[in-house]
Amino acid sequence: MTSVLSYRPSTSGTTGSANTVLNRQTSLSSFPSTRTPSNPSIRNGTSTIPRLPHRESVSSSQTSSTPSSTKQTPKRNGVTRPARKLRSQYPADTTEKHVEYILVASFHVDRGPIMEHQYPGAISGDENMLAELMLPDQVHNRKEDWTIFFLHKDTSEEEEATEGDGAEKEAATEDDAEGADGEQSITDVDSDANTAEAGGEEEEEDAEGGEGPPLIYVLNLVNTKHDASAKRGAVVKAMAICTRHPFLHIYKPLLLLALEEYFKSPFPETLEHLYNAVNSMDLSLMPRLSMLERHILLASDTKDLFVEKFDHMIQQRLAEEAKHDAISSPDSPSKPSPSKSLPSKSSPDLVGHRPRYIVPRDTHEFESKVVYNQIPVPIKVPTGISPETVGDFSLIRLIQTFSAPHTSTPQPFALHPHLTPSGAYTHPIIVLVNALLTQKRVIFLGHNRPSGEVAEAVLAACALASGGVLRGFTRHAFPYTDLTKIDDLLNVPGFIAGVTNPTFANHPEWWDLLCDVPTGRMKISSRIENAGITDGLVYFQQQNPLYAPNANGVGSTASALASNGDPTGDTAFIEDTVRSISSRHGESAIRSKWRDYIIKFTRIAAAFEESVYGASALYIGASEADAGAHGVRGHGYVWPDDGTKARELGANVWRIEGWRNTRSYYVFIQDLAAMWERRPIRSLDLAHQHDRLRSLKLSHDESAAIYLALSASVKTYDEVCQLLCVTPESNAGLFYISLGLFHPGARVRVATVELLERMMGHEVGRHFWAQLGRFAKLAFFRAKREIMKSSESGNSPVENMAGLGLDARSPLKIYILSPGNKEERLYSWMKWSAMLSFQSDGSGWHLEAREIRSAAR
Amino acid sequence: MGGSVSKIMGKIFGSKEMRLLMLGLDAAGKTTILYKLKLNSDVTTIPTVGFNVETVTYKNVKFNVWDVGGQDKIRPLWRHYFSGTQGLIFVIDSNDRSRIDEAGKELHKIILDREMKEALLLVFANKQDIPGAMTPQEVQERLKLSRLKDRIWYVVPSCATTGEGLFEGLGWLSNNVKTPPQRQAR
Repeated sequence: MTSVLSYRPSTSGTTGSANTVLNRQTSLSSFPSTRTPSNPSIRNGTSTIPRLPHRESVSSSQTSSTPSSTKQTPKRNGVTRPARKLRSQYPADTTEKHVEYILVASFHVDRGPIMEHQYPGAISGDENMLAELMLPDQVHNRKEDWTIFFLHKDTSEEEEATEGDGAEKEAATEDDAEGADGEQSITDVDSDANTAEAGGEEEEEDAEGGEGPPLIYVLNLVNTKHDASAKRGAVVKAMAICTRHPFLHIYKPLLLLALEEYFKSPFPETLEHLYNAVNSMDLSLMPRLSMLERHILLASDTKDLFVEKFDHMIQQRLAEEAKHDAISSPDSPSKPSPSKSLPSKSSPDLVGHRPRYIVPRDTHEFESKVVYNQIPVPIKVPTGISPETVGDFSLIRLIQTFSAPHTSTPQPFALHPHLTPSGAYTHPIIVLVNALLTQKRVIFLGHNRPSGEVAEAVLAACALASGGVLRGFTRHAFPYTDLTKIDDLLNVPGFIAGVTNPTFANHPEWWDLLCDVPTGRMKISSRIENAGITDGLVYFQQQNPLYAPNANGVGSTASALASNGDPTGDTAFIEDTVRSISSRHGESAIRSKWRDYIIKFTRIAAAFEESVYGASALYIGASEADAGAHGVRGHGYVWPDDGTKARELGANVWRIEGWRNTRSYYVFIQDLAAMWERRPIRSLDLAHQHDRLRSLKLSHDESAAIYLALSASVKTYDEVCQLLCVTPESNAGLFYISLGLFHPGARVRVATVELLERMMGHEVGRHFWAQLGRFAKLAFFRAKREIMKSSESGNSPVENMAGLGLDARSPLKIYILSPGNKEERLYSWMKWSAMLSFQSDGSGWHLEAREIRSAAR
Repeated sequence: MGGSVSKIMGKIFGSKEMRLLMLGLDAAGKTTILYKLKLNSDVTTIPTVGFNVETVTYKNVKFNVWDVGGQDKIRPLWRHYFSGTQGLIFVIDSNDRSRIDEAGKELHKIILDREMKEALLLVFANKQDIPGAMTPQEVQERLKLSRLKDRIWYVVPSCATTGEGLFEGLGWLSNNVKTPPQRQAR
């Protein structure tokens, strides 16, 4: 754990004294605390409690109430989710506000950036720092600009609070009454976060855990208005919303309205109105999803996934209201009951506006609204959010920005083994991802561009490297920052920052990778620290001298000669991604590609550690999976043969070694451990077995074992979810599972039918079943008939060599409609029935199955 | 391609590039000077949030001029612009007698920085069009420029709105630059 925060020696300890002074009176800062706690979570837990006497009572009351009402049978027996009270992601009775602060800053002609108002109280932090961030460089040249920045709850204050109360007193005397208020609400939130942790039941998601308290995300709008009556001709004002929700972009229309309003009436009341409006947003009908459910939702484009849950929430609400009405109506006959009458004006604060509740059109988003100044503003809140997804960036735009110049006129990079595994002409996006994975200092520079643009690039880069899998990037991201923060920035080991000031380009000692947004070029710093030779590298060289990479990180000559010259597969991957973008597959398709890429990287890294160090913390449950409880064993990434494996590992050695010892590496290990605790099936590596079905030429016995094991182990609701997590649409869905229907072994076909029936009866699985091709469905019903027939006659089903009971006289057309890699799928069809001919008619691939019986013979 | 051709031409005909940093107290007229040089028009400016940077070509010399906001709170940022600067243009509001000492203090702070020891110093005694403005000699004395040893400096009376004195200043800079023009990092 100590090594989680082992910062680079060259940068740690250089914390300027000014910074420490600044920290002393802040509880929020735009930088993570430079004082490195050995274990933030433990330290928080112990040190804050004495300061917050009320906190314990809050947390204990919440923990005692929530689990008792929701926690029923920990082990579920049916495939269908047992009927139980669904919880909301944002319960109506929570103390946690959607928006915690509203701030207004302006550029004072004599004094520079100043804070004008803060509501409900002052953020107990450095006001100047906030005002500077709210007024981005060169805003005098544009009418409007958006910035995003993050605030960290400063843990150093707590440290000092335990050391002595001096600092706190100092802060308290400086804060006025409002300041005390502000501190209050921060501690409230903190206690909530702790309750969530303490709740610790199976469905509790600690999206933020691992790296300390949650971030506060700040969305800021700044306007420059030329005004001849004002001193020096213009007024520059900025308004910001501070929230714990990563989907802060939903507040954009409201900020536009409110800042305009503030120019007209520059009083705290304007902030108050906005604050009350956004906090009355009702998200209480948004169901809470478990970790597995969220993974499935995010990997799917299906619009009505989990619609049952939304419906269930509404039913629950209606039942509650009916109960409430029954109780309250005798007491207060004057009060109109909201569910029966028209929206009542007398009690708008009760539940807010309430039309009839409807399930969302797309369950990926929950629709709500905020009424500000009598204007109803529709809001869409994402139901499931991947880690490290903040705001509404576009991976497509990021990839296009840096791909286009590279494609037209490639420029060589200075070589660095962590960054350029494919040599000087490594694709810039790969260089960027490698820089983030190996925790380099990355700066996005957008001179003469709105600061919102660099902020978006930073957020997209975080999501790119995270893939929704790894964490620790947004916490060290500074979507917009400027020269005023440079000293603090340089104290952060490995960061992702967005700036608009070109002077950063003149300081190669400040960054390792500079990404110039206007030109779409990246540059590796001449001052970048060299990558050291590590044990892992040396061991790998000893084990596989043929495949070991050279000191520049470029693959060995043997591996380059071996086949394609793309041992990492990065070139092919980027080409595939760019092709996807140009054929307009959409943002979610690109995100899921990157997710797969990062997952693959972590799995390769696990395999590398196991082969080099003998064990890996990147894979939990290796011994369980290898025990062979269900007749199959094995775990991890699947390679067709040892040569391919060694070549791929060799190509990845440098960046894997560079990734080890980074924040994202250690947080990932913690996340894996947490996930392992929640995993329903532990004796089987579903992904490994599915990959074997998918990519290996298995014998009938080998594949039979996998199908039988899957059918034997995947039974309950959660277990089905776990299987569906490894079979998203991008990974061919249930296709490879359905191939079990064609297996020559009758037992296998029976087992597959049972497994698929469980899918059909499953809230989520039914969507996957629906997406399965007609060929598979016909085979399912045929196999089903076969089973019923045999059970009637008492005979065991006929062992059929081909497994296909298709009538050779009537050719069958198969339509593969689900998206995915068509060639790959066709290849699998070929494996199963040799005499398939296929043609394309423009609308999709058709397969014509002919003479299958004879082919099998 | 075009860039490399002009580089060769530059080598033959002695075209130079110079990085200049323009500083001064707030409302001294830095941004007005910058855009007068760049566009030769009198633009109405508003306070600079952060900085402006423009390239101005005069007599075969490409001046890369950085203009950085002057409010006292943001003055500590000036130092980040020092490295690679060949000439400092310090702009004085010749009518603001109350703040000339403050300006002098800031100027000495900058010029004594290690990274600025090679830089030429050009002072624009700006806003000469307003009656009662301090003369260049007065500005020079109030700024205590005579205390600067081993430094090349020059005070030019100027008026940003008319452009008076501006190109004279640039001419002086290009004639006196001693370090060979640095190739830009980018």
